[in-house]
Amino acid sequence: MEHNDIAWQSELSRRARIYEDIEAGDRFEGTMTKLDYTGMTVLTLVLVVGFWFWGA
Amino acid sequence: MTDHVALGRLASVETEQAEAARNRAAAERGDAPLLPSERLWGFWEFTYANSALAIATWAFLIGGSVGLFVGPKEGIAAIVIGNIVGVILTALATTPMSGRYGVEQFVALRSQFGYNGSRVVYVLAVVVLTMGWLAVLAMMFGRSIDGLMALSSGEAANPTGAKMIVAAIGAILLTWFIVAKGPTSIKFFNMVVSPALVLLMVAMLYLILSHHSIGELLALPALAPPFEDKTLNFVVAVEVNLAAGFSWWPYIGNLARLTKNERTAFWPNILGIFGAAALGEIVGLLAAVALGESDPTIWMTKIAGPMIGIVALLFVAFANMTSMANILYTSIVGLRQVGTVSVRAISWGTILFLFCLIPFGLVIFYPQMYDGFFIFLVWTSALNSALAGIGIADYFFLRGQKLDMRSLHGPQENGPYRFWAGFNPIGLFALAVGFIVYVAVFNPQTLASLPAFKYLTASVPSCLAAGAAHYVLTRLFARGRGWGQYP
Repeated sequence: MEHNDIAWQSELSRRARIYEDIEAGDRFEGTMTKLDYTGMTVLTLVLVVGFWFWGA
Repeated sequence: MTDHVALGRLASVETEQAEAARNRAAAERGDAPLLPSERLWGFWEFTYANSALAIATWAFLIGGSVGLFVGPKEGIAAIVIGNIVGVILTALATTPMSGRYGVEQFVALRSQFGYNGSRVVYVLAVVVLTMGWLAVLAMMFGRSIDGLMALSSGEAANPTGAKMIVAAIGAILLTWFIVAKGPTSIKFFNMVVSPALVLLMVAMLYLILSHHSIGELLALPALAPPFEDKTLNFVVAVEVNLAAGFSWWPYIGNLARLTKNERTAFWPNILGIFGAAALGEIVGLLAAVALGESDPTIWMTKIAGPMIGIVALLFVAFANMTSMANILYTSIVGLRQVGTVSVRAISWGTILFLFCLIPFGLVIFYPQMYDGFFIFLVWTSALNSALAGIGIADYFFLRGQKLDMRSLHGPQENGPYRFWAGFNPIGLFALAVGFIVYVAVFNPQTLASLPAFKYLTASVPSCLAAGAAHYVLTRLFARGRGWGQYP
């Protein structure tokens, strides 16, 4: 389906504006924090190093 | 008069509701970003959806391939190491942006490769991968039917014979028919097949452990190690699993956009995709090594005896059809999304059939692909690992986790993601760099490798090289030319 009509462009604009407002107010919920990235790194390192020594 | 006003208002409300439903449906198809209020998957819903995708018959195939290179102990280590690294890097490249903005993955890719470049990437990464998997799964279906007939008649199976080819072609045609009918039938199969595959895995594990102790199993040797150097065999096994982890790149971003936020878009991949795929591969590995046969359609008949073997093979054939329908449907929906007006003009049934022509050819003229399917899988990692590196460098380090929804979804011809005639030469060059680094470090066709492969693998250097090339060249050249709206 092509969305060339004015209604669809205004709908796209409405959705974009909602995200711009969230961004401007820094109101994104459930964002990844340093804790998430640290946890992910530690988990990966533990599994890689642990299984490397166990299996290789 | 009052009734007329009330009826008018009712009609107006109904029109607005119909309009809202149409808009939401268009957003679900990827034409617009899904709003946070429209995204309903929490942590467990996404974990279940991921698990259902990951628990498929290909896990048995990959596990069996690992058993060719290393024994079960090294194999389990290779499965865990390869999958966790591959899944984490792939999830980082695709899911945080989908979870934050609800944006369709290949629409978001316009910011990395340009609006025409994202089409090229779609064809390379999704179409080729799906066509290959369709052929492999169809051949697995064909071998299941061939094994089934052999078991029933007491004759020897012929895995590359005419019966297999006819059954495989039948499987592709049947898949085409199912997908042409629409998504409802596929959803029904998914609800039945995923839980049943978990039961099948548990039953297989029970049967294996009832014949061998864990100590005996872990001490078994590899089926056909290609090198005398055990470390090299181990790293090849890790590479196969890295490729399996990276092979989720085309799919998980578009699932993650249905989740509520970044965290629920990212973490379920660890439990769902990594956990479920690793479990299935470990079962495939143990069975293959314990029974001396990497092909699941053969070891299933050995492990379970004729009666249960017939049931297991019938189920595997059925499960394969479901996986084939899933990937075919997803790919064609995406193809129409990124396709030109002429591609969109082709009817649904016709485009599905055209897509099946290459898998037909592979089944008929290259049935050997099944036995060396891991070669095909590893080739795909030369592309997917580079795509992951570029995605991470672009979204996290160049754009500071900010995307412009207006520019991504608005008219592209004069927008900021036009780059150079719709192609971002930097992104595409970085993709080529990653691919070349991969093949230079490790040739998937011949398994020849540089000494560095033993310490670095091939996917990790490819991912790093592509990401670094994209980052440095973008910093040097893109901003001055006004390309890509980089901050």
